[in-house]
Amino acid sequence: MFNEIEFTCNGNLTRVKIEPHWTLLHLLREGLGFTGTKEGCGSGECGACTVIVDGLAVNACIYLAVEADGKDITTVEGLADADGTLHPLQQSFVDNGGIQCGFCTPGMLMSAKALLDDTPAPDETQIKEALAGNICRCTGYVQIFDSVKAATGESREDIRVVAWKDNDERR
Amino acid sequence: MGDLNYVGKSIPKLDAVDKATGRVQYIQDLKRPGMLYGKILYSRYPHAKIAHIDASRAKQLPGVRVVLTGDDIPAIRMGVYKDNPPLKAGKVRSYRDEVAAVAATDPDTARKALELIQVTYEALPGVFDPETAMQPEAPLVHENHKTNILKMPWKLHYGDVAAARREAAWVVEDRFTTTWVTHCCMGTSGAIAEFDHANNLTIHTNTQIPSLAQKDFLGVLKALGLEEKRVRVVKPCIGGGFGSKLDTYAYEHIAILLAYYARKPVKIQFDRREEFIATSTRQPAIIQIAQGCDRDHRLLFRDVSMVLDNGAYTSWGATTPSVMMMPITTLYKVPNVRYEAKCVYTNNTYSQAMRGYGNPQATFAIESSMDMLAEAAGIDPVELRRINANDSGDVSTQGFRITTCGLKECLDTVTAKLATGAEKMPGEGIGIASLIHVGGGARVYKSDGCGTIIKMDDYGKANVFTGASDMGQGADTIIAQIVAEELGLRIEDIHVIHSDTDVCPWDVGAHASRTTFVAGNSALGAARQIKTRLFEMAADQLEVPVQALAARDRHIFIKDNPDKGLEIGKLMRKAHFSHGGQMLTGECFYDPENENLGRDFRGNLSMTYTFGTHGVRVKVDEETGKVDILQYIAAHDVGKAINPLLLEGQVYGGVLMGIGYALTEQVILEKGEMMNPNFRDYKILTAKDAIAIEAPVLETADKDGPYGAKGIGEPGCVPTAPAIANAVYDAIGVRIKDLPITPEKVLAAIKKKKGITTCGIDPLTEKAEIC
Amino acid sequence: MNKFEYLVPQTLDEAVSMYDAHGDQAAYIAGGTDIVVKMKEYKISPGYIISLKHVLPRSEPQRDRETGELTLAASVTHRMIENSALIKNEYPILHDAIGNIGSVQIRNVATIGGNLVNAVPSADGVIPLIALDAGVNIYGAKGKRSLALVHFFTGPGQNVLEKGEILVDIVIPPQLPHTGSAYHKFGRRKAMELPMLGVGVLLSLEERTRRCARARVCLGVAAPTPFRALGAERFLVGKKIDDAVLQEAGTIAAEESQVRDSIRGVAWYRREMVAVLVRRMGQKCLERIKTTSEKA
Repeated sequence: MFNEIEFTCNGNLTRVKIEPHWTLLHLLREGLGFTGTKEGCGSGECGACTVIVDGLAVNACIYLAVEADGKDITTVEGLADADGTLHPLQQSFVDNGGIQCGFCTPGMLMSAKALLDDTPAPDETQIKEALAGNICRCTGYVQIFDSVKAATGESREDIRVVAWKDNDERR
Repeated sequence: MGDLNYVGKSIPKLDAVDKATGRVQYIQDLKRPGMLYGKILYSRYPHAKIAHIDASRAKQLPGVRVVLTGDDIPAIRMGVYKDNPPLKAGKVRSYRDEVAAVAATDPDTARKALELIQVTYEALPGVFDPETAMQPEAPLVHENHKTNILKMPWKLHYGDVAAARREAAWVVEDRFTTTWVTHCCMGTSGAIAEFDHANNLTIHTNTQIPSLAQKDFLGVLKALGLEEKRVRVVKPCIGGGFGSKLDTYAYEHIAILLAYYARKPVKIQFDRREEFIATSTRQPAIIQIAQGCDRDHRLLFRDVSMVLDNGAYTSWGATTPSVMMMPITTLYKVPNVRYEAKCVYTNNTYSQAMRGYGNPQATFAIESSMDMLAEAAGIDPVELRRINANDSGDVSTQGFRITTCGLKECLDTVTAKLATGAEKMPGEGIGIASLIHVGGGARVYKSDGCGTIIKMDDYGKANVFTGASDMGQGADTIIAQIVAEELGLRIEDIHVIHSDTDVCPWDVGAHASRTTFVAGNSALGAARQIKTRLFEMAADQLEVPVQALAARDRHIFIKDNPDKGLEIGKLMRKAHFSHGGQMLTGECFYDPENENLGRDFRGNLSMTYTFGTHGVRVKVDEETGKVDILQYIAAHDVGKAINPLLLEGQVYGGVLMGIGYALTEQVILEKGEMMNPNFRDYKILTAKDAIAIEAPVLETADKDGPYGAKGIGEPGCVPTAPAIANAVYDAIGVRIKDLPITPEKVLAAIKKKKGITTCGIDPLTEKAEIC
Repeated sequence: MNKFEYLVPQTLDEAVSMYDAHGDQAAYIAGGTDIVVKMKEYKISPGYIISLKHVLPRSEPQRDRETGELTLAASVTHRMIENSALIKNEYPILHDAIGNIGSVQIRNVATIGGNLVNAVPSADGVIPLIALDAGVNIYGAKGKRSLALVHFFTGPGQNVLEKGEILVDIVIPPQLPHTGSAYHKFGRRKAMELPMLGVGVLLSLEERTRRCARARVCLGVAAPTPFRALGAERFLVGKKIDDAVLQEAGTIAAEESQVRDSIRGVAWYRREMVAVLVRRMGQKCLERIKTTSEKA
């Protein structure tokens, strides 16, 4: 029981035989070797597997591969330019501490990209809404919000380290 | 220290680009040729005899290579108490007990094989509450242990608590309880075990303790009769640690056993449900605390006794009292202290290390009680803390030597930022809580050491082999910054290699907020050796004494004549290509001069201690009991921020984890069974729940820390819950003493205060925790 | 997930006959966010999955100019409803509910029809539609039939659909003038929640007297199926609505609830919250009526 589907994956036309019970995540990771997309829960509750299908962020772990037929799909591997230049969101996540363990990162980036493609200058509420389906345990989300904001060119609102020195006589 | 090029700078995490492009390989992404897939059958009862297992049908399923039960494997005992075999024989003691395991050619076949294994159980009465389990007639979880109370030594008494209590002008006493919460690493656990032709083992596994795991796995080999064999532990990139990987798990041992019997690599990969059920939680605690102060509001005593639900087996949860002692004896100056903890076997899941390691539980009780004491004594809670705050140079009753302490400054900063005196809106309240944590390693094993080897290449670049394990916190980057700084190299010249026992030096593991301090000092020591040698070589060529030299931007140059210098790459090539040439490696095993706790638990556990104060402003909806956080300040004395960006990340992440602990997170166990093993019902906070967190940093330049740094991995989640509990009390006058602070508990407390009963049951004692 | 055959009918009749051919082995799929999870967890393992993607056209929510009826195709996604200006402005109760279901990723794929057919007590999309007096059109082997949505649910996870029947669309009749509506999803987090309670209130006021002409008080997770608190509604109709009246309506609604204890919430607390939230949603209705009339 194989179905043949054809879709665009990270800009490349892809024709592949799949089984109907495969999820898109299974196809991407096991069939096509795009292991950048992660499985965090397998039931659409954490967003680690987020990819963009025809401009919309979806959970690849509960999206049937067969439904990808005819669609345009972007994964984290398709974000950077062909010459390796990082997408502004990738660069921003790197520079602003948006990445710790990194497991949520690919999904987080794809949700952020879907947001910015649709809303180039989102406010804080829109960013939170767009990322609400992507769970992160490391960052407390603070630097992830910073990263998305910085990628839109908006400067961060200012919660920075306020370093002060201890006075000398106490040492 | 002069001008620093890298230390103190917000350098992006070294592997961030690989992570942002999906290149990094987690255990999920690894495969080995010929690899089989292992799966584990768990118990269907919390406490039962295994009468019979019939695995014959599973063995006959095409694709199945190995089926193992507890009766098929040699005697292997895991854990602190060696009470936990990887596959259980004869009896199960909790729902997470591993009863059988299968290796098959694909995951689906392995799963189907599990369904074909027939296990006949004879149910036994279970015990799910530690206080019940302490009763003489309670069912025994481990019969050979004779009692459910573990024979653990947690008892100390410094000074005279009874006398101090009599002298005290004000005394408060109460009971606090905390429940199970779990790490929720986004990357689920997994391992691939494989043997070579000579039965040496290589295991790729999610661990925070490559070196100690190696020892555990050597134990498996020994049990299999494989003496004198080697074990290589490789930790791929892991999707979070938070303490969950500080002990080896049954699944790792099972993967090894399956691989051994199958003669093939075997991978076990947890799904999310397994991650919730079969990895360990934070230790739940029942805490009775009394403290009192004199007329001048100086603390006179603290008296704490605890009962800890150990679960069915003994891992690092049972030793959390060794760290709980720290805040109990040393958070604020307390002359008389008594502490006792009992760990009790139950048929619940067993606990492990989790960020803060007992400190969040103890601090919840201490800092809630401090506010109660302040109220009883009629003094401002901040003032009470300021009067009793630790100072640099103090030695606490437990023998902790406080080298540097910025607690008062943290209190002041938080108080100022919260504007504590300002008028509050109805339903609003503010609360603060402070913390002490180990900041300079923690001597919980005989060694607290970490090794580093640095090898210079032909082009003036450094390979740094560290014992440290990076799990996302940024150990790789901190080490690179220190080495680059010391050697005058650029950050991109440093390649940090970690988490492979065949390649990297020994280390006790990524725990106790110790990596920056211990691995950092180790890296610094190794870098200094390289630097000395480079300076000798350069001095020789430049014909100046070494004292005249400095290193910067890939060059060794003369301080008074900066134009005159030599490129480090050139120095290296000269070293390699000369007759009688030399190579440049540096090595340092840094084992801090901290002390194991002695028989009376006295001893300077850590080289230095991290302090901090958290302050929070909340709004409580008095009709629903919901708590909203309006403002959050987390000030810490960190010694020195080697990387402010990564440091903030640790604080922010810790704080939100702490807020989850305070308000929403709980593993719901009903007669030992986890009712919410998924992100739907285990309420980890989402981006929409996230709040702005201010994280001011105080730098006290600790004399022993690398560039003055103290550890900061755990503190962010330590005082969060009591700060919030205190703020809730300030807002509406009810004190929640049982975590998490759910809307049900708050509303029930409000009603109780108003004298209204809720539907006949007392929600604080009955079902309110099931929510 | 077990293997299955994937079928793609082009018409309603073809879909129904495919279902008929495979009997208990068949299941329909629209967005798939519920059924795929159930299959992955081996709660169901149908041998034939029949896709409704070509059968049910995915069109934007539309209102008939003549009848004033709003039609939602069953296959319209939550995200399309959420982003519809028409829904946001004129059916705010629906916007309140749909915008808080799952995550953006879920809402991009999940359909309103799926939400209804799934029939879980916690389905957020259902409550506002009941409050809006929505009806559903159903197609099956015996042809077409229609019924009020409030009668669609028969138990937790149970609905009136017979084997092979397909929910085609949802029709919302025109609203009375001076109507306000609001929904509150009550959960522990601000996202990714199944509600501990869902409360939807709709109030229509008479033009001159400003008395309540129509009231809907609809509750989710307060009983085995979504339901209307008829006692509370009867209490409200004909009255001048103020806080005290809404408070009393909330208390009546709480008494009508058949709340229970579960891991997601305890009964006494749910009951208390019904009372509080009915009042609050009623107040929000009044605010919305006021805002609308000010705009006009």
